[in-house]
Amino acid sequence: MVDRHGEGNGAGALEGLISYILITGVVISLFLEAAGLVLFYRSSGTLAISHGGRVIIRAEDFFALLGQLFSAASSGWPLRLMTLGIAVLILTPYARALLSVIYFACQRNFKYLAVTLFVVIILTVSLLVH
Amino acid sequence: MFSLLLISIPVGLIGSLTGLGGASILIPLMVLFGIPVKEAIASGMVSVIATSSGSASAYVRQRIANVKIAMYLEMFTSVGAIIGATITTLIAPVYLYFFFAAFLMTSFLKLKRRPQPDQFSPAGRSRLSRWLTLEGSYFDEARKEIITYTADRPLLGGLGMMVAGLAAGMLGIGAGAFKVTVQEHILRLPSKVASTTSNFIVGMTALAGTSVYLFSGFLNLTLMAPMAIGTTLGAIAGGRVLNKLNDRMLRGLFFCVVVLLIVQMLYKGAASW
Repeated sequence: MVDRHGEGNGAGALEGLISYILITGVVISLFLEAAGLVLFYRSSGTLAISHGGRVIIRAEDFFALLGQLFSAASSGWPLRLMTLGIAVLILTPYARALLSVIYFACQRNFKYLAVTLFVVIILTVSLLVH
Repeated sequence: MFSLLLISIPVGLIGSLTGLGGASILIPLMVLFGIPVKEAIASGMVSVIATSSGSASAYVRQRIANVKIAMYLEMFTSVGAIIGATITTLIAPVYLYFFFAAFLMTSFLKLKRRPQPDQFSPAGRSRLSRWLTLEGSYFDEARKEIITYTADRPLLGGLGMMVAGLAAGMLGIGAGAFKVTVQEHILRLPSKVASTTSNFIVGMTALAGTSVYLFSGFLNLTLMAPMAIGTTLGAIAGGRVLNKLNDRMLRGLFFCVVVLLIVQMLYKGAASW
């Protein structure tokens, strides 16, 4: 039986969770970036675009970047907040891929468990290795 | 940064209205104003995650985007995006201007859409499509009926999506028009399912590309933050006014924007040669 919303792919609960994760991640990320921009202006007195030094995000891997964020040697709060916003944004689709793996594992849908696991492995390797 | 934020809002709006996406328009504009092309591309990739995730959230909730088909296709787009982003970190910037202009030309495929059939369930669907249950249904508000569909030729569609992922990772854009074309013409999905599923996939493709740029030193906070905020706000506004504009107006806007962007990137490429 198909309701007014259609059945999409027969995984209604998953769709609801994914939708929630996506919008929450984007809202948190944009809020952090906006807060970082405001603090950056208040501390430096300028909103000029810069091309070097502290404003460039560079890390050995994504998890090293998260470590840098919370280390004492890291840049001031404005740039830290903006970096955190970008990290949350990067984690948003990653989190929905992880959630899909868990969902299909619970459903014992081994075909889609393999499909989603493949994507998660590719993403994890790309975030860890360069 | 403030001017970039202000520019990003109307650009996000136009990107949403034309279906090009904010990054496809903003990257050539940033290049025009002297931003290094690789930094512009890497920042574009991050803003794509924001705009795609924001709009995909609604499409997934409304069950128009097909999550299972999206997950199958993401296997191909994420691999393509990693390869594409790696190529960008290695090649000379001058080639990127020409690649960008060439890929923008594929956006015209969107204007040559064939009329959609009434039935989307081919009789002889492939074994892989049956095995993965690449099918679904949605309630079409315009036709006031439930549309049932199945994906045809999934392997060929996957390869097409790998090319889309490669271009997206390489150029820092969503490559939405190309992805929609692959889904409509190869997988034979209904337009609404193709465009919303494409939107859902774009965020994952962008993440795969961004992970490569993270190590390369092209992710610039003073570009990414205003660009992500501005294009997302613009895309939200675009989604609200889209239904109020007629199709002819949107096609005219699309044509003018794409031609201008192609000319600008070709000029920049020729000047840098």
